[in-house]
Amino acid sequence: MPKSKYKFNPESLSFDKVKLGFRAVLLRGLAYLVGSLLIAIVYYMIFAIFFDSPKEKALLREIDQLTLQYDLIHREMNDLDKVITHLQETDDNLYRTIFEAEPIPSTLREGGEGGVNRYKELEGYNNSSIVIETTKRLDKIRKQVYLQSKSFDELIELAKRKEDMLKAVPAILPISNKDLKRTASGYGLRIHPIYKIIKFHAGMDFTAPTGTDIYATGDATVKAVVSAKRGLGNHVILDHGFGYESIYAHMDKANVRVGQKVSRGDIIGFVGNTGTSVAPHLHYEIKLNGNNVDPVNYYFNDLSPEEYEEMIEIASKTGQSFD
Amino acid sequence: MRTRRYFLDLNDVQFKQVKLPLKKKLGRLSLWFGGTVALTVIYATLFHSFFGSPKEKMLNQQVENMKLQYKLADRELNNSFKVIESLRMSDEIRYRPILGMDSVSMSIRNPGFGGVDRYRGLNGYVYSDMMKSVRERIDEMKNMVSVQQSSFEAIEERRIEWERMYEYLPMISPVDVTIKLGDGIRYREVHPVLGTPQWHYGQDFSAPYGTEVYATGNGKVIAAGWNSGGFGNHVVIDHGYGYQSTYGHLSSIKVSVGMDIKRGDLLGLSGSTGTSSGPHLHYQIDLYGNHQNPLNFFNNDLTEDEYFEMIRMLTSSMKLK
Repeated sequence: MPKSKYKFNPESLSFDKVKLGFRAVLLRGLAYLVGSLLIAIVYYMIFAIFFDSPKEKALLREIDQLTLQYDLIHREMNDLDKVITHLQETDDNLYRTIFEAEPIPSTLREGGEGGVNRYKELEGYNNSSIVIETTKRLDKIRKQVYLQSKSFDELIELAKRKEDMLKAVPAILPISNKDLKRTASGYGLRIHPIYKIIKFHAGMDFTAPTGTDIYATGDATVKAVVSAKRGLGNHVILDHGFGYESIYAHMDKANVRVGQKVSRGDIIGFVGNTGTSVAPHLHYEIKLNGNNVDPVNYYFNDLSPEEYEEMIEIASKTGQSFD
Repeated sequence: MRTRRYFLDLNDVQFKQVKLPLKKKLGRLSLWFGGTVALTVIYATLFHSFFGSPKEKMLNQQVENMKLQYKLADRELNNSFKVIESLRMSDEIRYRPILGMDSVSMSIRNPGFGGVDRYRGLNGYVYSDMMKSVRERIDEMKNMVSVQQSSFEAIEERRIEWERMYEYLPMISPVDVTIKLGDGIRYREVHPVLGTPQWHYGQDFSAPYGTEVYATGNGKVIAAGWNSGGFGNHVVIDHGYGYQSTYGHLSSIKVSVGMDIKRGDLLGLSGSTGTSSGPHLHYQIDLYGNHQNPLNFFNNDLTEDEYFEMIRMLTSSMKLK
């Protein structure tokens, strides 16, 4: 039992027992609580400044290492960035000197995957896929219409034998050309690699290593297989009917015989450097009723509209042909 | 002023002022101290169990920040890999085939560092894998970059050589393309002058007397003057790469032995000197002494205007260099 405490009352000159009411007890309790909390906070802060919990210690160690490594990584990546930028410039210079052309913009080269663009592409993805599909179809139709409207006679024939014609007309790339990196030089006026003057380039050049497969671009009959050391070198001429002929030049060797029927996609020969050519490449020509036409308009089975655009860009920019 | 407190001393029934000795005071103080510490522990434990430690929270926040930085670095690396891949494609698909160079195998381009734990020092952290992965990817990148660098250097070297080679090879017509071709490379039963069966080792051009004859490729003049073997006034150019070109039966010679010649330079005028039955140019290409068919070295696909435009371009651009 606690000893009772007394208070001297100077008015009555007597000792009164100290009695506390419920309120006073409660107030005291609260005061104690707040006081102890304040004290606890002070203790805690002092403790936290001087001591770390094991968990905190581990975290600090982690952070130290993460920061250290990050600084290292940051520095190395900066260095790498510089070197890579330099490499890109080298690439551009090589392109410029070999193709006598301004390099394709890097946005095209990187497949349009710049940071900001990507998000834009993600936005309204559902819509854009429809747009792309539609454009693709439209483009195909546009090209078909282009072909069909060439002449009325052709149109009648097309109506009669559309299927045959669509199978026969050149419609794919003559070599596999992922990322279109193999496009070198387009149809039209180009700098001749030896003469250094601007000459009409009647076809399209695709640079590829010697031995790369060359495909028939449509169903056809082999019209000629020529072995030559000059001009077009070893080359194959396919007769597709409907007025179309395609020529595949500078082959290492042909893979077909005269008179042979070939289907679109058949391997008809291999890329080489024969004839007047300064590098292994395929020179591809399409003739319609004996006149050269721009082959870039005849890849509609292979290329998406975007690729088609890019192909046109590359083919039109390149200044130098390879024969 | 503090209220004094008293207690009833039951021994002598007197109120006495409560006075604590120092020792007791100290005892109380330490008890109070102990109590508050104990309370602090209780409070802290309670607080931690509900809210977590603020310091830990702060540290965790820092870790999260670092993780974000790593993620960003990783993304940046992804971009770099894309760029390097694009450069590699350019290298492999564009330049090497054109320049006739072998491709660089993937095992050289990106050998990987499988097996060996290069960052053992980073073991034992929660984010060991994250740190290691970024460091390893950077190493991979460094390697690819350095391979790409040396590959581009090799390509550039080869490109210069390639361009040079095609400037040196005898690859144009020595005279205006509209001039008719004469006898080609073949076995002649009857030589037009000698009347005996003989090999004709070159290509004749039916060039009228005084037609300008141009160098067909860069090179050095190794003979310029009379040839007793039948070429008459002739010029021989050494193009390097094993190639020599000979221009025979000239009426006059504009170059001398030892001169460095550029494609398109005027060598002389055609004529009918030496064993010749009439004005013409005898043009011959030898590769390591083996006679080649000159017609295989150029296309007769230029107009007269284009031919002279070419000669003008070649000689003017050469002077600029």
